[in-house]
Amino acid sequence: MSAQAAPAPFFSAHGLCKSFFGVQVLHDMGFSLHPGQVLGLVGENGSGKSTTMNILGGVLPMDAGRMTIDGTEYRPRNPREAEAHGIAFIHQELNLFRNLSVAENLFIAGFPKKLRGLPFIDRARVRARTQELLAAVDLDVAPATLVSRLSQGERQLVEIAKALGANARIVIFDEPTTSLTTRETDRLFDIIGRLRRQGIAIIYISHILGDVLRLCDDILVLRDGHLVGGAPKSQMTVERMITLMVGRTIEQMFPPRDPPIELGEPVLEVRGLSQRGMVKDIGFSLRAGEVLGISGLMGAGRSELARILFGIDPCESGEVRIGGSAVPKLSPAACMAQGMAFLTEDRRAEGLMMEASIADNVALASLPRFGRNWARFIERTRLGDEVARVSSAVRIVAPDQRRTLAKNLSGGNQQKVVIGKWLLREPRVFMLDEPTRGIDVGAKYEVYKIINQLAADGAGVLVISSEIEELTGMCDRILVMAQGEIRAEFARAEFDREAILRAAMWHGSKEPA
Amino acid sequence: MSTMQAIAPGGTAEASRRRRGLAVRLLMSEYLVPGVTVIYFLVMWALVPAIATTETLLDILAAMLPLLVVAIGQTFVLIVAGIDLSAPSILATASVVGASMMTGDGGFALGTGVPVLVGIVAFLAVGLLIGLLNGVCTTRLGMPPFIVTLTTMMFFGGFALFYTSALTEDGSSFGDLPASFVAIGQGTVVGVPYSLGVAGVVMLVAHLVLSRTVFGQWLYAIGRNPRAAAISGVPVRRAVLWAFAISGLCAGIASVLYTGRLETGTPVLGQRILLDIVGGAVIGGVSLFGGQGRVTWTLYGVLFLSVVDKGLQLLGLDLASVFAIKGLVILCAAVLDAVRHRLMLRG
Amino acid sequence: MNGRNTKLFVLRNTPVLLFLVLLAAFGLMSDRFLTIGNFVNIVIQAAHIGIIAIGMTFVLLIGGIDLSVGANMYVVASVLGLFLKDLPLPVSFPLATLLGLAFGAVNGWIVTRLRVAAFITTLSTLFVGRGIALYFSGNKMVGFTPQILALGRASYFGVPSAIWAFAAVFAAAYVTLSQTTFGRQLYAVGADPDAAGKAGIDVRRIVFSVYCIAGVCAAIGGLVSLSQVAVASSTFGLQKEFPVIAATVLGGTSLFGGRGGVLGTVFGAVLIQTVENGLVMTNADPYLYPLVISVIIFIAVFVDSSRTSILERLERRQIRVERA
Repeated sequence: MSAQAAPAPFFSAHGLCKSFFGVQVLHDMGFSLHPGQVLGLVGENGSGKSTTMNILGGVLPMDAGRMTIDGTEYRPRNPREAEAHGIAFIHQELNLFRNLSVAENLFIAGFPKKLRGLPFIDRARVRARTQELLAAVDLDVAPATLVSRLSQGERQLVEIAKALGANARIVIFDEPTTSLTTRETDRLFDIIGRLRRQGIAIIYISHILGDVLRLCDDILVLRDGHLVGGAPKSQMTVERMITLMVGRTIEQMFPPRDPPIELGEPVLEVRGLSQRGMVKDIGFSLRAGEVLGISGLMGAGRSELARILFGIDPCESGEVRIGGSAVPKLSPAACMAQGMAFLTEDRRAEGLMMEASIADNVALASLPRFGRNWARFIERTRLGDEVARVSSAVRIVAPDQRRTLAKNLSGGNQQKVVIGKWLLREPRVFMLDEPTRGIDVGAKYEVYKIINQLAADGAGVLVISSEIEELTGMCDRILVMAQGEIRAEFARAEFDREAILRAAMWHGSKEPA
Repeated sequence: MSTMQAIAPGGTAEASRRRRGLAVRLLMSEYLVPGVTVIYFLVMWALVPAIATTETLLDILAAMLPLLVVAIGQTFVLIVAGIDLSAPSILATASVVGASMMTGDGGFALGTGVPVLVGIVAFLAVGLLIGLLNGVCTTRLGMPPFIVTLTTMMFFGGFALFYTSALTEDGSSFGDLPASFVAIGQGTVVGVPYSLGVAGVVMLVAHLVLSRTVFGQWLYAIGRNPRAAAISGVPVRRAVLWAFAISGLCAGIASVLYTGRLETGTPVLGQRILLDIVGGAVIGGVSLFGGQGRVTWTLYGVLFLSVVDKGLQLLGLDLASVFAIKGLVILCAAVLDAVRHRLMLRG
Repeated sequence: MNGRNTKLFVLRNTPVLLFLVLLAAFGLMSDRFLTIGNFVNIVIQAAHIGIIAIGMTFVLLIGGIDLSVGANMYVVASVLGLFLKDLPLPVSFPLATLLGLAFGAVNGWIVTRLRVAAFITTLSTLFVGRGIALYFSGNKMVGFTPQILALGRASYFGVPSAIWAFAAVFAAAYVTLSQTTFGRQLYAVGADPDAAGKAGIDVRRIVFSVYCIAGVCAAIGGLVSLSQVAVASSTFGLQKEFPVIAATVLGGTSLFGGRGGVLGTVFGAVLIQTVENGLVMTNADPYLYPLVISVIIFIAVFVDSSRTSILERLERRQIRVERA
């Protein structure tokens, strides 16, 4: 990466600033891109990554600063103008229309027409061009396939094809791998490699620092809206990125966890749980004071198992005992009555009431407990006290528990609100599905501490995670799932990243794939 | 930001910002609608002094109370992000079924000795049953509330006409209701109408249920995020079912008041008040998208509509103009609400 | 496997099956029912509702709703009868259609620019529109020239004028929805307006256009209806929004946007009219019509919604491949 070898930059940004409601969230941000460069952008949530990219992508106007493309000023007023300048933004929540076909999604902003002046779509050209673009991203589906029938990884490839179709020169990826399987992630990285060889510049935003290091030529680190470091990958390490991101050294990603000397009684026992097409013959037990991890690839049936256990999805056969007593008909209410709690992986859709206050959210699962007499009038003082106690125990940072709405909180604080909602019930069994997804390093550490405390207080904790480091860092035991079955079990002493991954990748019942 | 404001001298930019702040605060206030009502009333008073007489005021009250009761029921359904289009048909069906118990060619309950009591029970039962039917269809059969209540509206609107045509000689209404029943809609105790008592009790109970009970909080939670509510152990289906049942029951109670006031059970009762029911709640600030609403807000909205109605009548406008102006007024209120919503999102 | 396929077939085609059952039932009860003449009659009678419902389909596809179509019909009818009476039809009809467009444009403007919920917007314009039209007509019956009635009775190439109008509106709508950028973007907006905006689609323009289309269709539907009855009483178009929405939903268009189409709508409108016609043919008590029709709509929508959920369950992605 010597100065002479690098091609000249075609894009540059200087002194970008942005404020919301008088609070400056981005200070003097600047960088440049040359063709074929992959630029990594890391930082905690709220550090200004998204703001920068939203300015670049025409979603937000900048307050001050200057951007140029090929030496001419670039100041997009909307996403469409950004696209016209060759900038494609692949958002974390994909922007595809499930009710339309792949081909229609690629051309939705403007179809080729049959005749000039007439509005009719030239279907043949759409199909031909779609096939070309899909071939460029190695996606083997028919152009007429409905997007609703594609997997998450396939949808992402459609988004990339869309960027190619728009002749993008810069492609921005915002957390592209959070919902991809390992295999899909590898495929994505291949495609990114191919894009850069075509001279397309990539901006890659991710919390998964290992990926950033593996993929990017140069890495920029943001903290509190300031650019605090930037270096070519040869001079960057994961530890250095973390230090820069949080402004202090985190010696350990995980709080110390002393394995309990003596585990308590089993609090969750599962035997022969099966559901056609989903999970088969699941059996395990979780004891008081234990943190049990479930590993596996995306689509291995981990979340599905948790949802069945909490009675959200149906199950055909099997026996579940919570706290020693059998639960014949699983339902959220029945499970909660036995002291079970469940943090779902999608906190926006299933965890929070975005338009409601922190206090209302935390109280939601415990309301009947505060109902007095037959009419169930809520004991508001007692409820308020309890909510305040839990909120401060999980350290939710917000101006006012009663006034601040959930939607105005950062990802980490939102997650703490959902955790607080369940802690208010003092659960005996707590299942957490991807508890640290999309939250920053500092908040992750606090979530780990809460889980430790919960186990120390005698609850059984079940953690589902896609990050093997996370599970090995904080669990006492790990189960590995593949194809809806439990394939392996590891005690803490036997934790081995490679062995776990190998078990997860088993296909069929004999040979590793 | 706030400290800056505090120490800055009253410069022009600062002053205008503060003025804007006041305007925004006024706009965001939940007393905006009552405020506008008072202003409207004062303007009308200047134009038509007759609006401030006891007689007119009682008139407004009498017209408002039954509407208020239906709109409160609607509020429950709106809070869970539903809608009850069948309320007008419930009014009509309850009116003819209830009236047929007490009088005329039906008179099914005349032999019981307490026909009025049976009649009132019939009113409430009809409302409750249709409400439950709506609720069962939305929660158990998984159909959208709009369509369910649209079909029940068509069905029971037709049923009321059919019932009346089959049971009365002239085929249009049930007249000659017992005096003791009529009194509920028209009578007064020391100048205070009975209907005020009925509506007051409904309001108080509804307010307590929504703001103070577990059930009420459940309704708000369902309106805000039904999936999160279900996973948090809220019995979503049961709560929504009861929201519809309450809406039906309120329509049944309102039908008693309306029928008493008209002294006849008629299948055309409430034919044109859907706008007033939904409009009243929405003007007050109840959201059509669920999760937001209060009984007091509905009261403000209904009060506003009733005062506007009476004012237009007193100005001597014909039916057509009243129609058009009321539509405009509701539209303005909705625009105002949209502006408020946008301000809230920003603030 | 076979059993499952049969089940899927039945679920996918329930509205058609229901229609056939009704045809058979009415056919058994009245020998005049199952005749070509009667069927042409049904389509003629269904034409005005069908045309308006085609406009409604556009609105529902973007997740909106238009309750003001009936009022729009009445405004168009009263202005035509009172102010455009002396103009020849080739002039007055386009003017009347433009008026319908303007009514729709007002709805579209309020929804897109003032950002008021469509339900409450069109509920208010319903009242404003009816009020204005009642003011014009002085609450009296509005009469029309005999030419209009002649047009309504005319046939071209053996096909009655109402069916021509119905077919023309359907063809235009069908091509627009399936073959134009506008049509495909409309489905995108219905599925997710935010994503549509980010994808560079001019969402406001599409929403606005959709209400204009609904306005035009309401006007054309009103004109077709006028050409059949030649008078507009003060209840002309009153509560027409309900059968119109019912026909659209019956045809499989979702109230939540993004799913449906005009072919189903035509079917829905004809189905409703078939029921009404069958009831007339079998000499049923007229008071029973709304009861029977609402029950049929209810059953059809119920079947549709349970079909959707069953299909979703059957087509759900599975993790494991189970041996059958």
